[in-house]
Amino acid sequence: MSLLELRDLAVRHGDTALVDVADISVKSGQALTIVGESGSGKSLLAHAVMGTITTGLAVEGTMSLDGVHYDLADRANRKHHWGRELALLPQEPALALDPTMRVRDQVAEGAPGFRSRRKAALRRAEDTLGRLNLGHAARAWPHTLSGGMAQRVAYAAATIGGARVLIVDEPTKGLDRDSLDQLADLLTEHVATGGLLITITHDLHLARKLGGELLVMRDAIIVERGPADRVLTTPEHDYTRRLVAAEPSRWQYEWLASPLADATADPAAEPLVAAEKLAKSYGDTELFRDISLEIRPGERWALAGPSGVGKTTLGNLLLRLGAPDEGTVRHHNAVAGGRLQKLYQDPALSFPARVRLTDAMRDIVRRHGVPPGRVESLMATLGLPESLLHRLPGQVSGGELQRLAIVRAMLLEPALVFADEATSRLDLLTQERTMDCLMSELTRTGCALLLVTHDRELATAVADHHLRLDQAVHPVAVP
Amino acid sequence: MSGTQRQLVAAVLLRRAGQAVGVALVVSVLCFAVVRQLPGDAAYRIAAGRYGDDLVDADSAAAVRAELGLDRSAWQQLGDWLVDLLRLDFGRSLVTSRPVVAEVGYYLLGTLQLTAVALGLAIVIGGLAGVLAARCPGGWLDHMTTAWVALVRALPPFLLGLLLILVLSVHLGLLPAVGHGSSSSLVLPALTLAVGLSGLIARVTRDTVVEITRSEHVRFARTKGLTERLVLARHALRNAGVVLVPYLGVQAAILIEGVVVVESLFAWQGLGHALVHAVFWRDVPVLQATALVLALLVVAINTVVDLAVLGLDPRPRKREVLA
Repeated sequence: MSLLELRDLAVRHGDTALVDVADISVKSGQALTIVGESGSGKSLLAHAVMGTITTGLAVEGTMSLDGVHYDLADRANRKHHWGRELALLPQEPALALDPTMRVRDQVAEGAPGFRSRRKAALRRAEDTLGRLNLGHAARAWPHTLSGGMAQRVAYAAATIGGARVLIVDEPTKGLDRDSLDQLADLLTEHVATGGLLITITHDLHLARKLGGELLVMRDAIIVERGPADRVLTTPEHDYTRRLVAAEPSRWQYEWLASPLADATADPAAEPLVAAEKLAKSYGDTELFRDISLEIRPGERWALAGPSGVGKTTLGNLLLRLGAPDEGTVRHHNAVAGGRLQKLYQDPALSFPARVRLTDAMRDIVRRHGVPPGRVESLMATLGLPESLLHRLPGQVSGGELQRLAIVRAMLLEPALVFADEATSRLDLLTQERTMDCLMSELTRTGCALLLVTHDRELATAVADHHLRLDQAVHPVAVP
Repeated sequence: MSGTQRQLVAAVLLRRAGQAVGVALVVSVLCFAVVRQLPGDAAYRIAAGRYGDDLVDADSAAAVRAELGLDRSAWQQLGDWLVDLLRLDFGRSLVTSRPVVAEVGYYLLGTLQLTAVALGLAIVIGGLAGVLAARCPGGWLDHMTTAWVALVRALPPFLLGLLLILVLSVHLGLLPAVGHGSSSSLVLPALTLAVGLSGLIARVTRDTVVEITRSEHVRFARTKGLTERLVLARHALRNAGVVLVPYLGVQAAILIEGVVVVESLFAWQGLGHALVHAVFWRDVPVLQATALVLALLVVAINTVVDLAVLGLDPRPRKREVLA
């Protein structure tokens, strides 16, 4: 039986401790999962173990694998184990695959003996891909894969070398529920066949599926540990309780969708956006057809469905950011002149990277004649300190930046906001905070919402009107 | 090569072929128009080119005018040229009376030799410096390449050429200062061009390689257990090529078009040299053919770059697919 032990692991930046953990042990046959919000230090811990942590940070501590000791301060002493004993499944599989190389070759190069016996390695890669139901994608280019497929290809590439210790770093970003379940099955299988597994995640659903031992991290230290089912059902620490309560199905807010008919919407009101018989295809692939819907003032719509079915495309058509192949989209005068706003999935890409936030905001204030002081008052309402404005977008956390994007959208007093997976890259607590800010503002101003998400729970919690897009071309409208 | 790949290649070739025809027409007409706007009587200039400045008088100019039909209307002359162009008949030089094809072919060879050697040298010097600098961003070699870029960009080519002549020919006596034909006479002009270009290539290579070695997929390749050499060969080089090949294409085009100064300095007989003399002697057929060849060379370089990028990078370049 294999055993991985970490002792007195610390990561420091100057005098600040970013990770400070006394001992962690991982046994074969039992998954170890570390949960916590962004910035808690859990990813740094994973990279400290792997030896891939940035050189600006000081690492201390020892690791022992089957009785052999390694000084973690030396990043290079585990390098010869990479791919053979120690493997890392990186964040953002879509970026971790080389865009210029076919899937099969990327998987094969990690196989043992790749340099001397290339044919055998390629055959082995095809076998591995076949077992992951990706046999048809062996000769595909990475850009043609969906998020879930890219994740499984990355899994195949990381594990083909036969490493016992697998470290998985935030594998859930932007993945829909089905892909997530498939990944959870793969990881469970790795544990069942005697592998050692360390999973870093902010997704409690994944933590629940993996079971085993659970560590809850906050501000560099472990605040609670124990069997996953116990910690997630009867949390002891305050922070764990808040974390568990942050799942959308457990939210308690005034703005939550009620099963009763919503009060804000007036069925007689003229629709803000009226779409009739929309159809769209890309190349030979038909995304959807015959979609008609009307969004009235104050209504909350959710477009749900797995990734790649065309939710975002449909949302963009409704905003007239793209043209449908068939059908029409009409807009009411009430949404003219910027009163129709969009929140993007990655806020870092929706702000100019080299322009200070204060300048970015000032441009909008000038262009649209927003009354002075509105930026500051909105920021105060959303709990953002004014000092944030003096930074560049890259110097602000993802959650704060998305709240700034909400501020930016609400400056124009929109009649409709399109939130395109606006919280799917944020951790649970940050997602809760962000949605609370957004929904409170929408409720206060009577603004309508169009939410695109692959998270069914989130859609249920927020929206009164649902449209599910499935792999099947025909949408299922749920009143 | 898969079916879609073949379609993409065909699309590139078709588009560039169309471009070549368009460019040929526009350049021919423009050249013709520009020559007509030049001051002075073309017949006198051509006569001077043929018989020497001292022997030109009104009679010889009139003879030239009658022989070449220079008194016909502009439309007639342009029409004749375009019809000849369609028949791939470029005519004869007005000055030397040799076929234009032979004349321009000779100069084209000179230009291609010079460009190829200069570009090759620049890639070796600049690429090597860039890759080495990228291994340690902020290190001494990195600072050296930055200084190198500033230095060689600040030096105009004629000055750089003179310095090289002084050092390599006059002081060390290693190479001939000027001339055309022998391989040793090619070294100095090529080196002048290559040194000027190598700084830029070093800088672009360095930035590209740094960016790629920090990318997620190269980090993942490392943790898969690949050796540094395999990571470089299988992932870094190809992705760097996607950025560098179009850049080198632009530089090749600039080299071909912009080497007049260096060709004149070293008396190297290339297209730039030919163009200047054709303008001077009002040798319209040579001028038009030279300009045409230069324009088509740019189209050819762009075609090669397009095909190379198509082979290197499978990602679609249309936004439609990404949405």
